[in-house]
Amino acid sequence: MTRGLLHPTRRGLLMAGGAGFLTAALPGYVGAQAAPIKIGFQLHRTGIGAAYGRWYERTAQAALKAINDAGGIAGRPVEILFEDDATDPKRGSEVVDKLTQSDGCDLVMGTLFSHVVMGSAPRAGELKVPYLVCSEGYHVASGALNRWTLQPGITDVRAQISTMAPWVAANLGKKVTMVFPDYAFGHDHRDFFTAAIQAQGGEVVAQIAVPPTETSFTRYFPQIPAETEVLYHVMVGPAVLTFVKELGEFYGTGAKPALFGFIDSLEAVDTATPGLEFLEGSHFWEAHPRVKAADAGEHEGHYRTAVGVDDNGASVSDAKDVSTYSHMFSTWETLYFIKQAMEASGYSGPGDRQKLVEAMEATTDLPYGIERPQGAKRFNGKTHQVFGSQHISQVQGGRLVKVHTTTIDEGLYEDAVDYTTMSF
Amino acid sequence: MTGNPKSFEGFCPKFSKTLGASGLAVVLTPGLAFACALPPSVILTLPTGHYITAAALTVALTALMGVAAHRLPMMEPRLVRERRLLLPGTLVSYLSFLIFLALVFVGLYGERDPMHNLMTLVFWTGVWIVVPLGSMLLGNLWRPLNPWAGPVRIARTLLGRTGGIGLERLGHWPAVAGYAGFVWFQMVSLYPDDPAVLAQVAVAYWGVIFVLAVLEGEDWLSQGEFLTVLFGFIAKVAPIWHETAGKRARLMRGWPGTQVLSMPPLSPSAVVFVSLALAALTFDGLAETFWWQALIGENPLEPTGRSAVMWENTGGLLAVWVLTLGLILGSIILGRRIGGGFQTGPVMLSFLAIAAGYHAAHYLVMLLTAGQYTLAALNDPLMTGDSWLGLPPFFVSFGFLTDPRVMPVIYGLQFAAILGAHLLAVLLGLKLAGQGARPLAHLPMTLLMVGYTVLGLWLLSTARSG
Repeated sequence: MTRGLLHPTRRGLLMAGGAGFLTAALPGYVGAQAAPIKIGFQLHRTGIGAAYGRWYERTAQAALKAINDAGGIAGRPVEILFEDDATDPKRGSEVVDKLTQSDGCDLVMGTLFSHVVMGSAPRAGELKVPYLVCSEGYHVASGALNRWTLQPGITDVRAQISTMAPWVAANLGKKVTMVFPDYAFGHDHRDFFTAAIQAQGGEVVAQIAVPPTETSFTRYFPQIPAETEVLYHVMVGPAVLTFVKELGEFYGTGAKPALFGFIDSLEAVDTATPGLEFLEGSHFWEAHPRVKAADAGEHEGHYRTAVGVDDNGASVSDAKDVSTYSHMFSTWETLYFIKQAMEASGYSGPGDRQKLVEAMEATTDLPYGIERPQGAKRFNGKTHQVFGSQHISQVQGGRLVKVHTTTIDEGLYEDAVDYTTMSF
Repeated sequence: MTGNPKSFEGFCPKFSKTLGASGLAVVLTPGLAFACALPPSVILTLPTGHYITAAALTVALTALMGVAAHRLPMMEPRLVRERRLLLPGTLVSYLSFLIFLALVFVGLYGERDPMHNLMTLVFWTGVWIVVPLGSMLLGNLWRPLNPWAGPVRIARTLLGRTGGIGLERLGHWPAVAGYAGFVWFQMVSLYPDDPAVLAQVAVAYWGVIFVLAVLEGEDWLSQGEFLTVLFGFIAKVAPIWHETAGKRARLMRGWPGTQVLSMPPLSPSAVVFVSLALAALTFDGLAETFWWQALIGENPLEPTGRSAVMWENTGGLLAVWVLTLGLILGSIILGRRIGGGFQTGPVMLSFLAIAAGYHAAHYLVMLLTAGQYTLAALNDPLMTGDSWLGLPPFFVSFGFLTDPRVMPVIYGLQFAAILGAHLLAVLLGLKLAGQGARPLAHLPMTLLMVGYTVLGLWLLSTARSG
């Protein structure tokens, strides 16, 4: 045997080679369940959005299992086809194309990053395929997109920011200094919050815009006026720990303003991380409290178990692996929204896509349940945007403890668009 | 409403152009708002400036002491044991080829999610990281594992082919071309992780190399195929290695770099190849830094993706390559002019240590993150809940990336790899500079080594968008 291998004959080589080719060419397996509903998922698997993409996929998989275990959609099994867009708008558009044209998906969902939404939505409109985003951007409700693009699973930044002002003014103070990164994300906070706090009789006493490339912040802190009662901060990125550390050094143990931030700064980060001690006692906006609230609804536990997240919002397999808890529920809720609309419209295939969008637009009240673990919602068919409650949590002992929940009504604002008047 | 046309244009030039032309820029500006997905960096809070200074001083002092002492440690290979070859190379390589075919099949027809597809995972974490890292410790693992040698030997036997067609005369240039294309595919192109694209590129490349190697002979692989050249080079720092002669295999040991000293001087094409290896690793790190992002007008907190910066990154990669080659050759030539010795071919060998150290440091975190997906996929390749490796079901977990106890340790390992690589390079440079080199001749190269140490450590410790 050994001799044969070491000194192979031509015939032996031919046979061995042929056998090898045959083995390698054997198809893996073929066989799918009959007529499943195919949902295309535009996933930020690589690129800047990968940290979020990992949890979006995990949550979507959990919802998929829950839906299939309960009989699927209108009795049909459901499949999700995950396609990486590398968090890139050009690839995003190609992914919508591929999922729709090559893979025959009934619709496409799951996009988080706004620039990918902006790059992909026009293609979804051309292909006339429902495109359900999970991005919390104001782009949908602002009227910038099209009849086929909807955001049914997460509220937008305008609603999120505006609803914080009444509580901040009533509980923390009315003289606010804002520190924000100097680009669109920070500008949304600057503009929406400034208007909202003025409506509460408060004022923004200083707006400190920090260039996005900045990694040290000490020189900006002297710009904070002494009269400041609330420091509203929305710094994001790798330098957040440095920001908190330097802010702590700036104020030392002396008097300091109340701190209010958005969890976007520390999404997927343990608030008990050494170096973040200065945040103790400060408040954060959360869409969905990562630490299970004492008064959490009856479905909260089931949702966490399904996704594999513990009561602190971390992975059950690694207490340090904190989830993107304030965003990822959107994929779960979007899948259930699809289920509801498909069943309501009697959806049977791609030929019914227009009927499906019309059914979505006709949706209004979305009550609390396992379909919506973050809370009840109200869908606005005209603006294609969902509205819901927001939460405020305080860092207590290094943990985020929910202290306030807004009503849905507090987040409503005047419609900027009526997509239902646009043609399909 | 929230429009800031200036910043909008600055950060999203492509969108700005498209949307601005249609008069929609201001309307759409609010849409381009989403928080950054980058985790806070523990490394940014460490006193890395002090570490970098200490490393630079260490490299400089080592060079000074080496020059002054006129004595360097002996670096001799020693035989550990000798035995018959257990498995013929042809068979191992042929099995590797069959696995490659299976991976191509998985890439083309398997899961579309790259983190669940073994083509993407095995190539980018296995072939590209585990094989070279293993080779730095245990000697050239790619030599038996490469999927060409076996099939080429078999094909030449079947065809009754001996001799070549003269490709040998091209030196390492074919490998330079292949590597340059690969680096562009990895760092600039849009689809390096896409399983189907990767499979197509891999099979096309395999086919070209196979045909050329069948025509020229399998030995050509070690100068014409870039993976074989690259892994062969960086395996030269290994403290243990195998040497095969006929049916005998000899296990050797020696100080890291011992093998480098017995290598023939690098040819001009091989010099260019090594400079590309260094430049590729440097640019891969550089392209993610806030510094580079700012330079090309991208917002590092919300970069628009690869499609928007393909020309900038292509230009950057080429510029870094030219700069790297220019600085290295400039230092060597200047050293020769002011102090004698310093022939390019031998001295260039010392940079193999840096290529190895940088590869290890640069890809360590990727190994620890994407490597988990690879383990999960190998454990359950058909996604049916199986456990082929006997591992319990597990969630891929990145909690350590923000753990202030773990990340300094990882940074420490990277720091050690970079510093160790430069110290070894200095040592090898002293040995390879030639008898005729006076102490002053080492000055330019020492300065370059110090500068390169600082750059390498800065790339690992500065703010990055990736």
